[in-house]
Amino acid sequence: MSGETQNYQRFPVARRIEHIMMLLSFGLLGLTGLPQKFPTLGISIFIASLFGSVENLRLVHHISATVMMLGTGWHILVAGYKVFVNKEPMSMLPGIKDVVDGIQAIFYNLGLKKKFPQMGRFNFEEKLEYWAFVWGAIVMGLTGFMMWNPLTTLKILPGEAIPAAKAAHGGEAILAVAAIIIWHMYGVHLRKFNKSMFTGKMSETDMLHEHPLELADLKAGLAGPRVTDPKDLRKRKAIFFPIAGILSLAMLGSVYGFVSGEKTAVDILPPASTIQAYLPQTPTPIASQMPVVLGPNDQVTWTNYIGPLFQQKCTSCHGAMAFGGLSLVTYADALRGGDHGPVIIPGDSTDSTLVIVHSGGNHYVQLSADELKNIIQWIDKGVPEQ
Amino acid sequence: MRIFSTSFKVRYLAIFFIIAGSIMMGTLLAKTQPVLAEGQPNPAVKPSNEDSTCLGCHSKSGFVKNLPNGEVLLLTIDEEHFSQTVHSIEGLSCTDCHLDITGFPHDNFTAQSLREVSMQLYTLCKKCHEKQYDQTLDSIHQKELAAGNSNAAICTDCHNPHIQKRITDATTGQILPEARLQIPLTCARCHSAIYEVYKSSVHGAALTDEKNQDVPTCISCHGVHNIQDPRTNTFRTNSPLLCSGCHTNPDIMNKYNLPTNVLNSYVADFHGTTITLFEETSAGTLTNKPVCYDCHGVHDIKRTDDPVYGIAMKNNLLKKCQVCHPDANANFPSAWMSHYIPSATEYPLVYYINIFYKFLIPTVLGGMAFYVIIDFLHRMISRLKGAQH
Repeated sequence: MSGETQNYQRFPVARRIEHIMMLLSFGLLGLTGLPQKFPTLGISIFIASLFGSVENLRLVHHISATVMMLGTGWHILVAGYKVFVNKEPMSMLPGIKDVVDGIQAIFYNLGLKKKFPQMGRFNFEEKLEYWAFVWGAIVMGLTGFMMWNPLTTLKILPGEAIPAAKAAHGGEAILAVAAIIIWHMYGVHLRKFNKSMFTGKMSETDMLHEHPLELADLKAGLAGPRVTDPKDLRKRKAIFFPIAGILSLAMLGSVYGFVSGEKTAVDILPPASTIQAYLPQTPTPIASQMPVVLGPNDQVTWTNYIGPLFQQKCTSCHGAMAFGGLSLVTYADALRGGDHGPVIIPGDSTDSTLVIVHSGGNHYVQLSADELKNIIQWIDKGVPEQ
Repeated sequence: MRIFSTSFKVRYLAIFFIIAGSIMMGTLLAKTQPVLAEGQPNPAVKPSNEDSTCLGCHSKSGFVKNLPNGEVLLLTIDEEHFSQTVHSIEGLSCTDCHLDITGFPHDNFTAQSLREVSMQLYTLCKKCHEKQYDQTLDSIHQKELAAGNSNAAICTDCHNPHIQKRITDATTGQILPEARLQIPLTCARCHSAIYEVYKSSVHGAALTDEKNQDVPTCISCHGVHNIQDPRTNTFRTNSPLLCSGCHTNPDIMNKYNLPTNVLNSYVADFHGTTITLFEETSAGTLTNKPVCYDCHGVHDIKRTDDPVYGIAMKNNLLKKCQVCHPDANANFPSAWMSHYIPSATEYPLVYYINIFYKFLIPTVLGGMAFYVIIDFLHRMISRLKGAQH
């Protein structure tokens, strides 16, 4: 089979690089986009976790979108060069023939027709995919812009445009990814692995099967650049490159505007509630009770010392409770004594029960040595009230 | 003599019945292992009724102790109040908790302040309430306490054991309706400013004014004993599931004519999608995408159709949008579909785009699949026939 050895160039390097750019960006866009459409699915969560977080997922989505936009711009420039400078035929333009080819191919596959249609450089399957991609790129680009720049969009359009854009972006995404899987995978991978997009070459046998009309043109010398006169070529380039330069700048500017045109939201957290969390309902400030002390020249009396001292140290038990029948709240109470008689004998501290008990050291509340000394002094002086 | 002998017989019979009864009861109790409802304490102590000794002094009114820091510790136990407490009803006696009291006079009292009194005693709750006590060890209050903030709540701050009535139903373990009304009042003791806000919210007002049992109290969102710090990223990212716990439950929502699709419609939107994926991938990382409470309020949640604050009013919603989107214009609030599922009347453009794709996707893919299948089958048949393409 001599056909196997004879190879024809199908795609130059630039086209192959462009394909890889699109392949990677499209793949990543689908991979990072669909989990956002179906956030509750386990697979979405798994994919998001591969990227670390949904923010990283979005970053990759945005970078991929930028790559695809740049790729699209490059594609437009290359196509312009080929059509305008080289005057190559617009082989990707769809025509009536493609519709006829498609119908004939269906008839052939259903066994209703003996012969498969003969097609040119791009057959109807490839054109369908290409124009589906163009449609998808326009829809995704426009709706993507609206979601990426809602503030700018809503200067012109009503608010509903944003969820509408989101709906279209999601619907189109499913269509695009599924179409690639069904159409592209089958057409160039499963049916027969068509490597020409990577090698750039196609064998004569394959050309005969897939692009017989182009092969015929090639053999007849009708394909390829039609402008051969170097002068004419130079003239055309002189026109094309300045325009392409301006167009490139415009496209780059658009992509830049698309990507960083607006600051949609703040980066910080919405301000938290400023309400005071700890605010006790019934603050009950209690003045701290100073120890009862006697001035250096003061006489010990009930009013200035003994009463306050008893109040502070004794009335827990010998107050309203009157343990042992003894209350030490008032002067009269104190002198009255308890169930076993008086505890204070005026003028005789030694025999006063109060002093005896406190000297013993095992009363529930203990008086300090100073306090006891003052009490003894008070009793010995005849328990003055004032 | 006859009288003596009859009364003697009666006494004999009585003793016999008591012994026989005790044996029977004991057998019964041994056979029927007591089933403790969830949340019910496991009493490790045997109830005894030796309280009269304590109450000899501690029932007298005005029995106080002046603490070294000047505070006054009330030592009076109001018998009537105490008899209505769950602890009294369950037969606990004073020394079941006050283990340090072994006789009179009591051992040296070392607490310097009222707070210290509580601090010295509250760990005893663990004896019966181990599960709840262990839960508190994981709480924000415990963390604050460990960090040296002695104001942080301990068991007895919320449950004064001398007045605490039964909170949960003994058999079902459900919070009793009356106890539910007390919850915000309990938290308000320390969080009074928040309580004031809650009280005026749609939830708080329903609880306090109507004794509504469907609305959340503090613990519905914050938890009971293992209360977490609500300022963490995890709390923030998980909060939509907290709200949707009730707001997707038709049993509750139907009563108030409220929609149950609020979580779905939130998740379907950009903000909710982000939060959902955050929850699953990196709940601990900060995201500023809004959760329910960023728009609806935290403790000050109002009806969306509230005439003053309701966010169903676009200009009220715009103010909420502008918190994060300072440059948002009047069109902006409508970019959020307000939990609506698009229909011919609400967000018709979105509705029709969805319908468009609902038909376009199967048409295109179906067509492609049809071609791929017939192409594949034709090739298979040709190959089987040995025919050359």
